[in-house]
Amino acid sequence: MSDQPHLLLVDDERSIREPLAQYLTKQGFRVTQAGDAEGARARMAAYAIDLVILDIMMPGEDGLSLCRHIRETSEIPVILLTARSEETDRIVGLEMGADDYVVKPFSPRELAARVKVILRRAAAGGARQHAPDSGSFAFAGWVLKTGERALVDRDGVSVPLSTGEYNLLHALVTRPRAVLTRDQLLDLTQGREAAAFDRAIDNQVSRLRKKIETDAKNPDIIKTVWGGGYTLAAEVTRL
Amino acid sequence: MNLRRFLPKSLTGQIALLVAAALFVAQAINFGLMLNDRREGRFNQVIVPSVTRLIDANERLTAHADPAENGRRRPGYDQRTRVQLHATQPLPGGEERRLDIEDAIRRGLADGGLNPKQVFAVVRPIDGNRQFVRKMSPERAQRLRRLGAELQIAVQLPDGRWLTLQTGWPRTERVLIWQLLAQTLILYIVVLIPVLLATRRIARPLRTLAVAAQGFTPGNGADPVEERGPSDVRAVIAAYNSLSLRVNAMLDEKDRMLGAIGHDLRTPLAALRVRIESVEDDEDRNRMADTIDEMNRTLDDILSLARLGRPSEPPTDVDLSALIDAVVEDFRDLDMPVQFEEAPRLKMRIRSNLMRRAVRNLIENAVKYGHGAEVSLVPGDTSVSIDVADRGPGIPAEQVEAVFDPFTRLETSRNRETGGIGLGLALARAIVRDAGGDIVLANREGGGLVATIRLPR
Repeated sequence: MSDQPHLLLVDDERSIREPLAQYLTKQGFRVTQAGDAEGARARMAAYAIDLVILDIMMPGEDGLSLCRHIRETSEIPVILLTARSEETDRIVGLEMGADDYVVKPFSPRELAARVKVILRRAAAGGARQHAPDSGSFAFAGWVLKTGERALVDRDGVSVPLSTGEYNLLHALVTRPRAVLTRDQLLDLTQGREAAAFDRAIDNQVSRLRKKIETDAKNPDIIKTVWGGGYTLAAEVTRL
Repeated sequence: MNLRRFLPKSLTGQIALLVAAALFVAQAINFGLMLNDRREGRFNQVIVPSVTRLIDANERLTAHADPAENGRRRPGYDQRTRVQLHATQPLPGGEERRLDIEDAIRRGLADGGLNPKQVFAVVRPIDGNRQFVRKMSPERAQRLRRLGAELQIAVQLPDGRWLTLQTGWPRTERVLIWQLLAQTLILYIVVLIPVLLATRRIARPLRTLAVAAQGFTPGNGADPVEERGPSDVRAVIAAYNSLSLRVNAMLDEKDRMLGAIGHDLRTPLAALRVRIESVEDDEDRNRMADTIDEMNRTLDDILSLARLGRPSEPPTDVDLSALIDAVVEDFRDLDMPVQFEEAPRLKMRIRSNLMRRAVRNLIENAVKYGHGAEVSLVPGDTSVSIDVADRGPGIPAEQVEAVFDPFTRLETSRNRETGGIGLGLALARAIVRDAGGDIVLANREGGGLVATIRLPR
């Protein structure tokens, strides 16, 4: 029992919470449920929780407020459930220190996959990376704005990216100078959206290079590492 | 020719014209009355003394018929009344007779007991060089010249002889006209300038109001229009301000309601999505998931369409070519047959996420009905076209407009799998129109449909 990751599922909607708890239990997690923020606090005090799945829209104290509280008092990763896909929610949610979010209606499989990715990341890195998603990243004259999911050039013109391209670039930019293998990149990018599961990483990289490199044949920003994978060679500044 | 075209359209112009016209009419009436008055005065001043002179002269010239007796220098001329007695008609013909004066003289003579056979009266301008004027005393001559005209009267006495008399005839009309013009001019200046100032005071806040009403965009947080001008205008501005507040409040209410609807519909959808995970059959479960995804997309479209009037996303500089490429790539990631000929960078100022939605909806339709899409970006001098072409069945020409109506679908395609064309297309068109462009559908040669987004550059 004890080697099973312990998840806390906080949602006021029983119609979602109960079947989801059932599904996650079947996937090999230990799941504790809470119907509101108060219940969640009590259970977090009582158990050693590994990860919290948190609904934003709840009567009484909402999910964002609880998320901030969790972030202030512990290092437990948080995945937000949101009913809206509005940009502002994304930004606010990630600024509150959530590790990831899914938009309702979501696929339980996808949620389970993301839970696994985050738990593995937390186990591998020891301490969690503090809010890796939030903010903007500047590199080689470009700015990647995570809130708006936009890539902006020197002149302030934004260059829209496909979901796959964005996820790949995001993975590279948040880990500058680290060599990431194709498997690692696949793992990092597929956790976020349903799209781009089967897309070859090489293809995505060459598309990205066409967009951001001055000369796509002699790349300066995304470099290929022989036998390894890819790395972001540029200096990255968090804005 | 339509005179209406020359009438002023603005409030200030119309009021000024009205006041000017009213002033002019009043002046004209005034002038008419004055003219009448002067004419009567002239009768009294000129005709009454003339009649008296005639009667007097008649008595003196005819009663004492002996000319020598009076020792006159001129025969038949009465020195005191300056009336001349003639044996025959003395006036040269061809001059215009003044019948009104003749009548007055005839009446006056009759009152004095003289019943003339004929009366002639002629008014002619003074010729200062004429013999008799030069012979006059300088004061009289000058007075005559100033009057500007003389009246000559010839009266045929009952015995057939004629009496003639000349006297000054004041031409008051000319003076009066000048007076009237000067008066009117002064009146215009005195009255019209304050009128213009007053109407501008009314018109300016009204114009500000019109500009504010025209530029009214719900939810842009514009300040209320300043209440200025007379109380009536202030009342109108206050009414407009409270109206715009109410409109904004209603739209806020609508947004809140849509948010609530979205939440209330997404929650059961989410519950359903979680529950179908327990369905054993893979194919069944995938179909259910697809249906739920489609319902969710439709819900997104409804909410976007309803919220489009007050988008939260500001327009930014975006590379349109990369935008289309990104949308197309998302389709290709899902193994959909969508082609895009790579185009050079094209900077546009648009709402990126909404435009992505519009392009995506068009491609979605092409994939759904045409089993694939060929997308191309055609930059022009003044506009940019995004063509989304397919090789599907196309749309009957008479129904091309109808497909844009939200919630309507072509009869031939009414089945479960192809749902949502109407809404997706309506949303795309609303987004593109909001950006100042339009979407046009046309059937392709050789079969298929091409949807074109045209955006101004």
